[in-house]
Amino acid sequence: MGFDLNSFLAFIIFGVTIGVVYGIVALGISLIYSGLDIVHFAHGEMYMFGAFFGLVLADNVGLPYPVALVGAMIITAIVGMSVERVFYRRLTRAGGGYTVAGMGMIICGFGMSVAMVNVAYFIWGAEAEPFRANLDYIPRLQFPGDIEVPESYVLTAIISVILMIGLHYFLRYTKPGLAVRAVAHNKDIAYLMGINVPLMISLIFGVACALAAAAGVLIGPMQSVQVEMGYLMLMKAFAAAVVGGFGSLPGAIIGGIMVGVFENLGAAYISASHKDIYAFLLLILVLMVKPSGLFGVEAKVKA
Amino acid sequence: MKLKNRILAGALTVGVCFAAAATTYADDIRVGITMRMVSENGQAYGQMMMDEIKGINEAGGINGHMIKATLMNDECKSDKGVANANKLVFQEKVHLLIGSSCSSVTLPIVDVTAKAGVPQLVPHSTNSKITQKGSEWVFRVPVSGRYYGGVNAKYVGENIGTKIAYICAADAASVGDCANMEKQMKARFGVEPAYRADVQEKEVDFRAHMQKIKSMKVDGILVAALAETMARALVQSYEAGIGEDVRRIGSSSASNAPVPKIAGDAAKGVFFTAAYAAADQRPIAKLFNEMVKARYGIHAPDHDFSQAYDLVRIMEIALKNTALTGSLADDRTAIRDAIANVKGYEGLASGPISFCAAATPQCRDGNRTAVLIGYTKGGEDFETEVLARVTMEEDFGLE
Repeated sequence: MGFDLNSFLAFIIFGVTIGVVYGIVALGISLIYSGLDIVHFAHGEMYMFGAFFGLVLADNVGLPYPVALVGAMIITAIVGMSVERVFYRRLTRAGGGYTVAGMGMIICGFGMSVAMVNVAYFIWGAEAEPFRANLDYIPRLQFPGDIEVPESYVLTAIISVILMIGLHYFLRYTKPGLAVRAVAHNKDIAYLMGINVPLMISLIFGVACALAAAAGVLIGPMQSVQVEMGYLMLMKAFAAAVVGGFGSLPGAIIGGIMVGVFENLGAAYISASHKDIYAFLLLILVLMVKPSGLFGVEAKVKA
Repeated sequence: MKLKNRILAGALTVGVCFAAAATTYADDIRVGITMRMVSENGQAYGQMMMDEIKGINEAGGINGHMIKATLMNDECKSDKGVANANKLVFQEKVHLLIGSSCSSVTLPIVDVTAKAGVPQLVPHSTNSKITQKGSEWVFRVPVSGRYYGGVNAKYVGENIGTKIAYICAADAASVGDCANMEKQMKARFGVEPAYRADVQEKEVDFRAHMQKIKSMKVDGILVAALAETMARALVQSYEAGIGEDVRRIGSSSASNAPVPKIAGDAAKGVFFTAAYAAADQRPIAKLFNEMVKARYGIHAPDHDFSQAYDLVRIMEIALKNTALTGSLADDRTAIRDAIANVKGYEGLASGPISFCAAATPQCRDGNRTAVLIGYTKGGEDFETEVLARVTMEEDFGLE
């Protein structure tokens, strides 16, 4: 295919819209990692559960799409906090990070992923479900060169920016946000300072899972909703988180956008058949140049 | 004396055991089924086959023999399909294997049945290579992709235009559908694809392709993919701003209910070739539609249902014409020969189904008539219309 500037711009625009969704999921992964030193392998399933909750609220309950989005975030946050409290707490309390408990936590995450997929099969079945959101009130964006960005993509970009600003505000300018950052920095010292560490860990899980749910509900109208949707998103979000620097929140977003754009351009100009490779090619390239990722620190040292 | 009695008793016991085993063997005709049953429709047509076999047994079986059917789910995964086939062939020692739904699963199973010498009836798979492997044990009930390609190309070239964009998913059926359509468009109209994208089997994001296709101002877009992937591509084609004037052409899996269900309004106007149309006005088709709706709650059965039903009827005819001997190998051969003798079966399929003895696609692609169907309405309560019915020459599409 020859080079055409309009097409090139279109690929970048669409890459950014999917990239911010990767970024939101990566944000949750990074948040959990920075708070607990663990990689949450069931995060893709939280994204899938969120999408299904949004679908149920919008289609079955009949709530407007934005309300369904918020509802799905709240329900998934509760699910995430419950999972953390019931299944992960003993392991995270035992240390997490580079410890035996941390290894156990990774395996527990895998187990939770499989369990959640099977629960979802049981509840919703294997068939993909259409997510028909009424987005008529959102304008289509027109760019020069006959580039038209559909309503769902515009909404995705808007909601993603709102979520990022909201998270930034929460972490920077609220007391619970400060407590979360303190726990992320050092749990023991945070505990000695009078912070309710277990509660903050639950809060971290809740916020991270709510972000994953938001991503699921945003992607639903574009790609339909199905039980197996979590795995690929998790892989892309991991790539985004690593490219941006594991544990770095701005890095997760930038990494997500980079993955989205890189993968779209790769699909357009190299081969669309192997689209999923590009995210990991980018990951390898970035790690070769800067092993800690673009915004990551060289090593995370705990007191 | 005691020793003699013991030997006699032992011999008697062994004899009784062998007799019992032989009786069991002679009583049952063992049929193994492996299919994709991951969706509501998949489970329903699997159940329908079992119900039809149960009906045969309740009516007295086949020449006094009961059919013992084992139904397995391969989830459209080739590793599971091959494992199922091996289990059915070598452990269950089935007389006949039915499977599978997905071409990518059926293709390796053909090797299993060919090696073991077990007759295989293919219920749904369309990839033309299945019968081109030269196995003398395989018989295809559905229409081969080589016929679909010809019908699609003729209709598209004569009614829509020749500037066609192709989106081809990586599953075996879609790869075959794309290749056949491309080949026929070149042969009939001398045109190459205006655009061609090979995408993954479960691709979720077609936006980059649709943007490119939009800028090319094509006459039509062929989307060859499994149902859910196709539905996503159709929706995203409208999201990209490609108008209704660009016709959407589906591969044979467009017939599957998830396509109109997931694609909704984006399914309207899509046309495709299949082996059965729910809009068929024949009394047998109307009765079938009512039966499927009443028994399984399916709004309009697609050709996966009709082919599963036809397959059971063909199996019944063949088994009735088989004289079972009690030797597994001989019985398998006899069943194979009986299937090869099925001629002009007229059921729900778009045309008569006939087989013959030679291990060639001409003999083993039973149905040569494709029906061209268009969606007139999408969504849960989708509607279709029959656009044309075309019978192809038996060697059509072969090199």
